Amino acid sequence: MEALFINLAEAFTGWMIRLGLNPAWAESILLLVKWIIVITIITVNIIILIWLERKISAFFQERLGPNRLGPFGIFQTVADAIKLLTKEDIVPSAADKLIFKTAPMFFIVVAVMLYTVIPMGKDMEVINLNIGLLFFISVGSLSTIALLMAGWGSNNKWSLMGAVRSVAQMVSYEIPLAFSLLGVVMITGSLNLQDIVAAQDKWWFIVLQPIAFITYFIAATAELNRGPFDMPEAEQELTGGAYTEYTGMRWALFFLAEYTNLVAVSALMATVFLGGWQGPWLPSWLWIIIKTYAVILVFFWVKWTFPRIRMDHLMSFSWKVLVPVSLGNILLTGAGIYFCRWMGWC
Amino acid sequence: MKGQGLIKGLGITLKHFFQKEITEQYPDVMPELAPRFRGCLRFQFEKCIACGICVNNCPNDVLSFETEKSDKSKKKKLLSYSIDFQYCMFCNLCVEGCPTNCLYFDHDFELSSFEREDIKMIYLRPEGLDEAEDSQAEPEEQEDKEQKQIEAMLKALQKNPQKVLSRLLEGEEDINILSELIQSDQKTAGKIAELMIKDKEKALKVARGFINKEKKNRAQQEMDGGKGGDNDV
Amino acid sequence: MMFNLAAFSLYDLAFIIIAGITVTAALGVVLFKNIIYSALSLILAFLGAAAIYFQLNSSFLGVIQILVYAGAISVLIIFAIMLVMNRPAGESNLSSPRTREVFTGATITAMLFTALIAVIGFTQWPIGAKPGPDNSLGLLADLLLGDYVIAFEAAAILLLVAVVGAIILAKGGENK
Repeated sequence: MEALFINLAEAFTGWMIRLGLNPAWAESILLLVKWIIVITIITVNIIILIWLERKISAFFQERLGPNRLGPFGIFQTVADAIKLLTKEDIVPSAADKLIFKTAPMFFIVVAVMLYTVIPMGKDMEVINLNIGLLFFISVGSLSTIALLMAGWGSNNKWSLMGAVRSVAQMVSYEIPLAFSLLGVVMITGSLNLQDIVAAQDKWWFIVLQPIAFITYFIAATAELNRGPFDMPEAEQELTGGAYTEYTGMRWALFFLAEYTNLVAVSALMATVFLGGWQGPWLPSWLWIIIKTYAVILVFFWVKWTFPRIRMDHLMSFSWKVLVPVSLGNILLTGAGIYFCRWMGWC
Repeated sequence: MKGQGLIKGLGITLKHFFQKEITEQYPDVMPELAPRFRGCLRFQFEKCIACGICVNNCPNDVLSFETEKSDKSKKKKLLSYSIDFQYCMFCNLCVEGCPTNCLYFDHDFELSSFEREDIKMIYLRPEGLDEAEDSQAEPEEQEDKEQKQIEAMLKALQKNPQKVLSRLLEGEEDINILSELIQSDQKTAGKIAELMIKDKEKALKVARGFINKEKKNRAQQEMDGGKGGDNDV
Repeated sequence: MMFNLAAFSLYDLAFIIIAGITVTAALGVVLFKNIIYSALSLILAFLGAAAIYFQLNSSFLGVIQILVYAGAISVLIIFAIMLVMNRPAGESNLSSPRTREVFTGATITAMLFTALIAVIGFTQWPIGAKPGPDNSLGLLADLLLGDYVIAFEAAAILLLVAVVGAIILAKGGENK
């Protein structure tokens, strides 16, 4: 069970080479197949996730949630997806059509790129990048541009307002986001996510770096534009923020990308702070799924508990609380590492 | 400590997460309604007396009715009663005002319809109601009967007063006097006849009154006549 | 040029695609009439450059290129454009109507281009000597925080001072 997918991949490559393909081309095709599988998993997973969020938010509010279509309403999202696919695609006549149309594509591409480096099991990742963590942070920061494009391209004041808010928020929260991960990097001495997972065989970093975990969680919530930091969307104030003018599949792409980002960030949190794919009894790829879903559930829990924060509070919280706290955490970690070495523990 | 409220909030949502859902699965499971729930306003045609209190009470002009006045009696006859339910605000004032409790709210709350006109409820006079009311309305019929009896009595009085009056009065002199009166005066005859059918005691009193008055008149005439007779003689 | 079709690999194909995108995007920055398009194609050019870094096995530089230029600087540029744009978007990036300025620009560009060609042509490139170091990040860290730590920290403090100064200039400071 453990090496199920690795064996499958090897069998696939071997089969292609036996068919008379150049090994390099076979490797490239395998990469392509990996990508297709990742995208398929993302899409199917999102269908489950949306259903789960609706169901869980309903339970938090003592409602039933979707329960009509299929057992426990599990096919509700499928129906919604079909509805979105068949909806009319409206491009506002005053919109900047090129930017308007490319924004959702850019957003989803950036979101899917995040999965390149996440280790989905022992020796299981699309690319084992030496600086995987840094890659994740830098690619994650690109989604601001997609939102900015959507806001500008829509030529709508709500859209632009939402885009401006989201960019301000994401640029501000990128700093504590990166800083909170630095503590982990200092302990591990590597930016490779597989190394970080391997370093957690005794202690999970949530134990060694609790402050970093909390700051990362908060910053990631803001980075994902999720409640209570969903200022860019803010349905009650901005009628949907940057997504206001989008309909049908284009809007669905944004929605899909948001959940894709959510899963990616949750998987990263599971990898960096919760021991990644390490765990007893079950195969590693199952462990990462379980841990990712646990983090996602906490995200849901937080979203459906707290009210939305005011924009200026949001910004001042980032600059005046999170940045100093995460910087202090780096200092503390450095001091801790030297103390540890001095005592001869490590 | 700062942040305590956040943890408390998370605790509250977690508690609610495990509590029982309060959603009513409405079309499948009907809601339990309170006994005095105001659903649809209903009207009982038989009980209505067309007093119009409900219409006066209604703040939104929901209620209206049509009546017909019959020639024979003073009572108004209710032809139709309409409730334009789209304006109703369920204030209950009509129900409270109704003296015969013919208006009431039932528990039917599924009032939506496709056409605006369908919301309006019109109660027409039921088919069988007239006959039912006729059998009930004895007073009117009795009046008719009495009228006939009175007419018959009047005829009898004019034809043969002594015989009829002997049932009322004693003493031949009195009977003769009254019968003479009746024959000379239609009005008195009518009154006596009516009273004889309706109330015999009253008839007796009135008759006595007439007789006494006549006797006095006659005594006066005799006195005058005696003088005059003297003069004649 | 030694263009060997037999040795043409996926690697080369990827390079051609990336280089093509980068150059086209860079041309777009100059040629687009709409300045928002220019800014967005600048981002695309940055990303293309990052991709070339990745291909040259210098993933750290590539990631930093994405993080700093594509992720942060470009957002800054777009914000600046949005805040100061005072004419229709379609004619916000026109070439100068004055011939003298066009001439000056063309001269500077031509000189820069010649200089670049000259530098590339006269440099002795150690072709095929060795593939780039695998752990470029570790070497870079050793250099930045070891040998050149003073310069690195001085640059950091300089930037910090610049940021603080910018904020004070923008907010106006306190009058005494």
